[in-house]
Amino acid sequence: MDRSLFRANARLEKARLAVVLGDVEAGRREMQQSQHDAAGARDCWIAVGLDAQIRPQSSHPVIVAGRELALWRGETGPAKVWDDQCPHRGMRLSFGFVRDGTLRCLYHGWGYGEDGRCVSIPAHPELAPPKTICAGAHAVATKYGIIWSNLSAARAATVPEIPAVTDWRPVRSLYIHRSAAVVLAGIAAFDYGAPAEPATPAADVYVVTLGAQTQLLLALQPVEANKTGVHIASSGVDATADRLALVRQMHSLRDAIEAGTGPSR
Amino acid sequence: MTVTTDAVALGEWVACGWPGKVPVGGHWDTVILGQQVRATRTAADSYEVFTLDRTGTPGRQLPVQSRYCCIFTTLSEPKRPLPEISEFAEPDRRLVNSGCVGVNTSPYRLIENFLDMAHFPFVHTDILGAEEQTEVASYKVEHRKEVDEIWATDCQFFQPAASKAATGGQMTKYVYRIMSPFSIMLYKTVHGDPGRNDAICLFIQPRDETDCLAYMPMALVDAVSTTESMIDFQQTIFLQDRVILENQRPALMPLDLTAEIPTKADVGSVTFRRWLKQSGIWFGTSEKAAA
Amino acid sequence: MALKLYDYTLSGSCYKVRLLLGFLELTYTREQVDFYPGRRHKSLDFLAINPLGQLPVLEDGDLRLRDAQAILCHLANKYDKTGKWLPRDPATFGTVMMWLMFAGGEIMAASAARLHDLLGYDLDIAAARNSAHAAFRILDDHLALREIAGAQWIAGDHPTVADVACYPYVALAGDGGIGHEDYPALRNWLRVFRTIPHFDPMSGIPEFA
Repeated sequence: MDRSLFRANARLEKARLAVVLGDVEAGRREMQQSQHDAAGARDCWIAVGLDAQIRPQSSHPVIVAGRELALWRGETGPAKVWDDQCPHRGMRLSFGFVRDGTLRCLYHGWGYGEDGRCVSIPAHPELAPPKTICAGAHAVATKYGIIWSNLSAARAATVPEIPAVTDWRPVRSLYIHRSAAVVLAGIAAFDYGAPAEPATPAADVYVVTLGAQTQLLLALQPVEANKTGVHIASSGVDATADRLALVRQMHSLRDAIEAGTGPSR
Repeated sequence: MTVTTDAVALGEWVACGWPGKVPVGGHWDTVILGQQVRATRTAADSYEVFTLDRTGTPGRQLPVQSRYCCIFTTLSEPKRPLPEISEFAEPDRRLVNSGCVGVNTSPYRLIENFLDMAHFPFVHTDILGAEEQTEVASYKVEHRKEVDEIWATDCQFFQPAASKAATGGQMTKYVYRIMSPFSIMLYKTVHGDPGRNDAICLFIQPRDETDCLAYMPMALVDAVSTTESMIDFQQTIFLQDRVILENQRPALMPLDLTAEIPTKADVGSVTFRRWLKQSGIWFGTSEKAAA
Repeated sequence: MALKLYDYTLSGSCYKVRLLLGFLELTYTREQVDFYPGRRHKSLDFLAINPLGQLPVLEDGDLRLRDAQAILCHLANKYDKTGKWLPRDPATFGTVMMWLMFAGGEIMAASAARLHDLLGYDLDIAAARNSAHAAFRILDDHLALREIAGAQWIAGDHPTVADVACYPYVALAGDGGIGHEDYPALRNWLRVFRTIPHFDPMSGIPEFA
């Protein structure tokens, strides 16, 4: 089910209600907000974290293009990406805790099921929460060991396809104090210590082929104008010592991009 | 930072320090409602407050009152006097000054948090609430027009360790009293003396719309606890709230009642937001963006 | 021997000591010091106890110790019969010491930011936050490598005084306006730390047990 569209509809519902209650100004704002929810975000899949990094029963803060999100996982199952805001009093849900498959807000313990619907309000244990109370849930896909989210309601785009490789393993998430464009240029210019064949199967996704065996997948997460996340997976790097060396190399990649010194080992 | 043009906010008394913050002859600089001010301790119990311009030169002198363990001032003609809180004058009361703590949020998020019982089990776990007893029973809220205050009465909540003096769980009775957009207090059952109430205040110094200092003076009936432990208790509680307060989005208070979803337990908050909206205040609210 | 801790509940440095006292299941008395607003740690009485005017101070019989890191080492050295909290093996000891110094050094920038935001300390807040972020990145890098190696603690295969010393100001960073968004390995280490038996939370650490 299309959650953000649902949310837009819920907004629309609130707009109508406000108008019925005689608050025309509030109604107008709700209308605008519902249009924003339906069309505001770009229709693309953005890497928001490494799947292995989001442990069961945990909630984490993620920022995509200035927008605060909660990335969380229940006791089992795939990770979820929601707006980082409890509908009740605006508390960030990335501070929440997981209980019985629900994400509970830290402020008043309101519980939300995996579809985003509010299922419990502890201040009123007997009350069945109205179906309209809903956290802002976004589309999520887990592929190549990376969690991707599409924040738009249109969602015609598909998760970037990377052919031929099936054994991606998580490496590291980097947060680099540079714009996405500078980070992409830095990834292209970096000296990986082996002949590198770069490819960009999708916007903000970079695949580096190193020799016959090794591939690196680097997926960008625009955080702010001057900060970019890079979620990295590898194929063909399996021995622990090699994986440690790869993580260190990725730290050097980050440091080189921030130092602005161009190619570097 | 510039001083707000919100006439409603300017017409309130606001805290700007506490007695004894500096030695006699000393001063401190601070900000109220975007206005830089300097407070000087001219004698043991005497304070003067002046505005400061951008170069740090003193401007006009502001009214000052020293009450309830706080120094209050105002930038305009106050539309109401400071509230009367008789407990601070009772001879056997322990008056506790916990200083002030900075909080990056709207003043009204602070008031609303202070007014809220439903968060006790989750934010003040095993002190002011427990997960086994989360229900908020109905309570009464009224706007007392003659003093223009909001009172919430008949409030009660089960508390495992309600105060420094508590030795076990108890059903604590609360009365809340919103005295201005920047001040609230509560009366709660005294441990071991249900006929009397502890008086606990929250006075807010709004430095800017989402930049506040919170003062929490108390007038307690407690002959046993040390002052250190009473301050400790209050600061411990407040720092638990502060994590919540600084992570509410948006930080500015939405006065549009459809922006956030209240329940029956939030009737105090709903009344408060309506009262703010009717007052015409916009400092610290998200409504002016649309206005 | 009677243990006495000069303590301020909201101090992250005191919290380091309280944590280890709890992990070691040691009983102790607390002397609460009105750090704020009373500034009793700068009073003449307290300067006679610690001339640096800092908390915590631990008294263990006739021994009086300042500096949270030194106190952690003393407690582990004297009372931890397993030897795990302060490992003596050459492969681990140096690493534990290195991160212990890091906790008392670079990470304290997060404490400075917290004192600024909470209690209005007059300091360069942008510089404090930047320094804290730089320190957090170094620890996050280290913990990410530890994860790859199949480990979850700062050194060795169990928690040590290095973890105890680093935990409070990393966990309390939000109090000083420092987010954990950029540190996935650090976030998971914080979660694991809370599972240590006898862990006690502290105000400002957003956690529901």
